[in-house]
Amino acid sequence: MKPDTIDTATAVPVIPDLGALALAAGLLFLSPVLYSIWMSFQTTDAYYGGTVDFTFRNYQVAFGQYNFARYLLNSVIVSGAVTLIGLAVATMAAFAFARYDFPGGNLMFAAVVATLMIPSHITLIPNYLTLARAGLLDTYSGLILPAISNGFAAFFLRQYIRGIPRALDEAAYMDGANALQVLWRVIVPISKPAILSMGLYIFIGEWNNYIWPLVAIGREDMYTLQVGLARLYRINPGEDVIDWPLVMAASTITILPVLLGFFLVERHLVRGIMMGAVK
Amino acid sequence: MLRRLTPYLFALPLLGFIAVFTYVPIVTSVNLSFREWDFLSPTKPWVGLDNYRLLLDSREFWNALRVSAVFTVISVPIRLGLALLIATRLMRETGVSRVIRGALFLPSVTSTVAIGVVFSWVFSTDWGMMNGLLQLLGLGKVPWMQDPQLALGVLIFVNTWKQLGYDIIIYLAGLQAIPTELYDAASVDGGRRFHVFRRITVPLVMPTTYFLLVVSVIDAFQVFTIVDVMTHGGPAGATDMLVNMLYRVGFTLFDIGLGSALAVLLFIILIALALLKSRVIGRRVHYEA
Repeated sequence: MKPDTIDTATAVPVIPDLGALALAAGLLFLSPVLYSIWMSFQTTDAYYGGTVDFTFRNYQVAFGQYNFARYLLNSVIVSGAVTLIGLAVATMAAFAFARYDFPGGNLMFAAVVATLMIPSHITLIPNYLTLARAGLLDTYSGLILPAISNGFAAFFLRQYIRGIPRALDEAAYMDGANALQVLWRVIVPISKPAILSMGLYIFIGEWNNYIWPLVAIGREDMYTLQVGLARLYRINPGEDVIDWPLVMAASTITILPVLLGFFLVERHLVRGIMMGAVK
Repeated sequence: MLRRLTPYLFALPLLGFIAVFTYVPIVTSVNLSFREWDFLSPTKPWVGLDNYRLLLDSREFWNALRVSAVFTVISVPIRLGLALLIATRLMRETGVSRVIRGALFLPSVTSTVAIGVVFSWVFSTDWGMMNGLLQLLGLGKVPWMQDPQLALGVLIFVNTWKQLGYDIIIYLAGLQAIPTELYDAASVDGGRRFHVFRRITVPLVMPTTYFLLVVSVIDAFQVFTIVDVMTHGGPAGATDMLVNMLYRVGFTLFDIGLGSALAVLLFIILIALALLKSRVIGRRVHYEA
């Protein structure tokens, strides 16, 4: 954000800040989620009986009987791998597009950027077939591989790297570094904020991914949290028989890692979106 | 020699993944859309345009297209309008505005499945938060998810609730790019608040609005998760949208040809919308952020 932000802000029509009222509005906005977390600590009988009875039992049941510990592990593995491999692949490509003028380079870059416009659902059936043929359905690889290419991350990092003075690269080359060393020792350290923002986005996007795991996974012990939660919710779809406190415990398990991370890195997230929007 | 190969070596991994999981699949989809296949049988006979004809003759496809269009046409203006109004009020970097920004932004990074589950509770007839509030006000229960129009309305509400914060952040970026002097001039002239908003803010933030329009229309046409979790397309097809139909045809009915034809049509619709808008953007944008 630019230093003149505050000047601009005061000039824009603003209603007077109403302190506590504004806070209340924020809480009201989030109330369904906040209440669902509260509900997850209620016994089912107390919830339906309208009384209050604090318990951790829903979490024990979700983690134990309904295997959410396993789903959590699956989500961590898949999202972590997609983020690390995705960042590596995108950063390397971004470096090539930002620093080299090579035959076919423009065409390749266009092919990368064009993926931003391509609706992902057209690849659903063919990717399912590819992985089935490779015997990778119901495996971590099957969840990870199709999610790795990220055109936006490559595009975004290329813009960022282009802003880094070439003199830095050249100094390193003079010292006898090769291209890989320049990328790793010069470009990556300077690009850290951008890489971090992209990493957060890839992780969150993959953590919340639903349709692909739904398609690629049939075995229960390979479910990610999203699929596990959707299935748990649907075990008893009739209105009256849903064990809402249990379902909300599962939902809280699904939300919580991102929620906790959110408070730590909100600034990076917001900055990432803003950098991406003002191209 | 090696020096010449360097950029290719760096770009290759990404391009390999994109080729295998994006570009080849597009060709495969088009090919499969002209065939009849159920995942299992050893042959995939060529049936020409039959799948497309079947789709275009079916009430299901037109219903899904209509519901997707209605969802888009209602939800996008609500999202953008609300986001711009709120963003102009959150410009100041005070503690309070930061709290509100955080609260509004949070849902956009939260699991859509979990949001779908939580709001299924909020709008459930007997135990839900909405009907609980209505009863406090002395009003009767509303069957939110059982009424066709209300169910679509609920999905639009939930989608707006989830995406609003993202739109607001983008608008904040756009608003900060507007030169301060314009507002100074307006306030010297004694411009009233609404006037300033209409004559200065709205036109100058146009590039951001077009960007969000592209993103949110494409988004809206691809909605799947909240529909799958909350309504499954029901009641009576009232919330059955294009991607939902695609999933059902492909992965529960196992009609690969028909599913592929649907995917190709969705692809064409979205590319057409994107191209149409980039032409409009090219013509209409007079202020570059």
